Amino acid sequence: MLAANQTLTMAWGAEPPSLDPGLATDTTSSNVLLNIMDPLVKLDPKTLKPVPSLAQSWDVNGATVTFHLRHDGRWTNGDPVTANDFVYSWLRTLSPELGADYAYQFYGMTGAQAYNSCDPKKADCNTLKNKVGISAPDQYTLKVELTSPQPWFIQQVAHTSFLAVNHKAVERWGERWTEPGHIVTNGPFKLAVWKHDAEIDLAKWNGWRDAKDVTLKRVNGRIITDGTTAVQSFAAGEIDVNTTGIPPADLPRLKTEDTYQNYPALGTYFYGLNVKNIPLQERRAMALAIDRKSIIDNIAQADQVPATSFSAKGIPGFGEIKNDYLQPTADMGKAKALLAKTPNAKKHINLFVNDAPGHKEIAIAVQAAWKKLGIDVTIKQMEFAQFLEFLGPPPNKAVDAYRLGWIGDYVDDINFLETWTCQSGNNNSNYCNPRYDALVEKARSTKDNAERFKIYAQAEDMLTGPNGDFPVIPIYWYTYVTQEAPSVKDSFNINLLNQFDLSTVKVVDK
Amino acid sequence: MTTFVIRRLLWTIPVLLLVILFTFLMMRQIKGNPFRKTDRAVPAAIQANLDRKFHLDEPWYVQYADYVKGVFSLDLGPSLVLRNQSVNDIVKSHFPVSLELGAYAFLFAIVAGVPLGMLAALRANKLSDYLAMLVANVGFAVPSFLVATLLIYYFAVKWNVGLPTSGWRSWDSKILPSIALGFFPMAYFARLVRGTMLETLQQDYVRTAKAKGLRRRRVVGLHVLRNSLIPVATAAGPLLGAVITGSFIIETIFAIPGIGRYYVSSVSARDYSVTMGLTILYAVIVIVGNLVVDILYGFLDPRTREART
Repeated sequence: MLAANQTLTMAWGAEPPSLDPGLATDTTSSNVLLNIMDPLVKLDPKTLKPVPSLAQSWDVNGATVTFHLRHDGRWTNGDPVTANDFVYSWLRTLSPELGADYAYQFYGMTGAQAYNSCDPKKADCNTLKNKVGISAPDQYTLKVELTSPQPWFIQQVAHTSFLAVNHKAVERWGERWTEPGHIVTNGPFKLAVWKHDAEIDLAKWNGWRDAKDVTLKRVNGRIITDGTTAVQSFAAGEIDVNTTGIPPADLPRLKTEDTYQNYPALGTYFYGLNVKNIPLQERRAMALAIDRKSIIDNIAQADQVPATSFSAKGIPGFGEIKNDYLQPTADMGKAKALLAKTPNAKKHINLFVNDAPGHKEIAIAVQAAWKKLGIDVTIKQMEFAQFLEFLGPPPNKAVDAYRLGWIGDYVDDINFLETWTCQSGNNNSNYCNPRYDALVEKARSTKDNAERFKIYAQAEDMLTGPNGDFPVIPIYWYTYVTQEAPSVKDSFNINLLNQFDLSTVKVVDK
Repeated sequence: MTTFVIRRLLWTIPVLLLVILFTFLMMRQIKGNPFRKTDRAVPAAIQANLDRKFHLDEPWYVQYADYVKGVFSLDLGPSLVLRNQSVNDIVKSHFPVSLELGAYAFLFAIVAGVPLGMLAALRANKLSDYLAMLVANVGFAVPSFLVATLLIYYFAVKWNVGLPTSGWRSWDSKILPSIALGFFPMAYFARLVRGTMLETLQQDYVRTAKAKGLRRRRVVGLHVLRNSLIPVATAAGPLLGAVITGSFIIETIFAIPGIGRYYVSSVSARDYSVTMGLTILYAVIVIVGNLVVDILYGFLDPRTREART
């Protein structure tokens, strides 16, 4: 039965650095924005297929995508939401002056990268701006020209970067347009309160096109960054949902409770290997020697899934892409045999990890595993920003192995596999295989899903298969851990991209 | 006195310039990229846009000169990480919270610490002395995150007293963090007061006062306490400066929107302008705090007045 008071109290994990869709990069802002704004498409919570939201339909014609917008979209200031709002917003995000971190999300559109790379001190960027392939043939039609047919583009549009901003609010208030009182939104909820570092409250907006389907009246969100504090607030009944997380020390105790929830994430925790320092067979041996299951059961503890490929479980086509060369547990016999055939194996390895909690413990387990192969591992722990600088690319020569994670931006494996191409800024391994790059390029231009997944399978095989190059050793696939009160447990859900849709949450009496 | 104050205030200008210069150079020495917040790399074009936007593409002395100009017109610049806020905004919205928390914590430290120390000194080597010093030594030795966690666990979760676990809203949410933050200064004051009071109690003038037949309350209240408080005042200045500028640990554990967290988070995030702004803020507070203490000395101990003018 529905509760009389439809208020949800919850913990946001962190203060969002910005609530501007063009500037937002973190989880909190993404979840606030997806609930106060109206995306063109949403992802089906189960299948992750794009479903209509503000766009009632779309046509894909080669590299041209046309969105047909609903006519009943409204901004909270009363203006209709039009295709021109999207043209304005997307060009704004691409403008070199804004300095948007996620401008690269738009690089698949013609002229986008050129405009974003323009230096206004040296050139007139307006000509480049006019060449970007975003246009509005009429008020409710949005046309996008892509550089190639990108079958994942529609799904990608579900990302916060593709939300529209209200140009009147942006122009009137400048950088402060996202403060409550200034902000103009167009989604099921309004930003009611934003006390920096303390509180973000949302209130149902009755002017939203489908407001009649929204049950929740208000969300009182507290910003709690510390896991222990969030757990205690939940225990004291102050919050119904804890999305901040649970510290490892509390996990064994809380996991047995009904309020514990665990959602698969589209992300891989991995060790990268410097292929210039470590020979191929040794890399394979090192990958085989790791007991992923034991690391999860004894150290990470949040029901992560042993990662047997770099492509994350849950990605469309995963059934075909995965391979079973790597196993959840170690295969020491095979690993030792491989290493025995490697005369030039490197026997002293520097493993770099950053100093956030948990990484060192995993590094110690890996150290013990590699020790069994006769490889001595020195663990070097560094502060995060310095660590990243050390990794390059190219990595510092002292780096033999390092830990990193990859969290997908959108649900297509290209987003994972392009990490290991020669030019990728996220490839810190010195790995550069033209055949691999050619496969990734081929996938980019392959429209048919089944065909493309086959190419992804070949690429994944080239990384972690029986004859793989192993610039990367996958360790586990991330999970999102929450605590949820029985009153909202059934309706509050987090998808693979760590997004939750509050418009479908219902508080029930329990 | 006035010349003294004016001279001291003028001295703050070169001190501040040096503070800015050192912080500026140190922040750039530690490397790291303010625009890379996660494992994900920043594409070159976007890095260039950001560097241009925040003038990080200029030579360091131009950046320094611009920054100093900004500081003297009271503009601490934009945050590189909190993209819709300036450093002034951050100070304006979070410093008052830390100030309030620090004031309560300091009040708690004085109100609880000074009597505790007096009690211990007046009943030296008796049971109440031992008990008081037990509390003080525990407060001195136990780190604040443990005090905070224990307070939350017992008072907000286990005993169901009705106090919230965290936040900074109603008055009842302010009790536990104030005690947690004030616990160490409280213990410090108690030990300090006990020590100085024991020393003062043995002074000749105290014996004389007693011999003249003054009542014990008057001897303690007027002669002993007043003279014992000089070291307390000396210690109080920097301690007050430390508690009102916020505490990373207490603010994080109690989810309090104070400025203390930014001292740590801005460094890890390489948010240069925030780190610089907060360092300047802290420097100003320490300078002003020391000045106030020096003026207070004059009232507590007339001997120090002539020495400096």
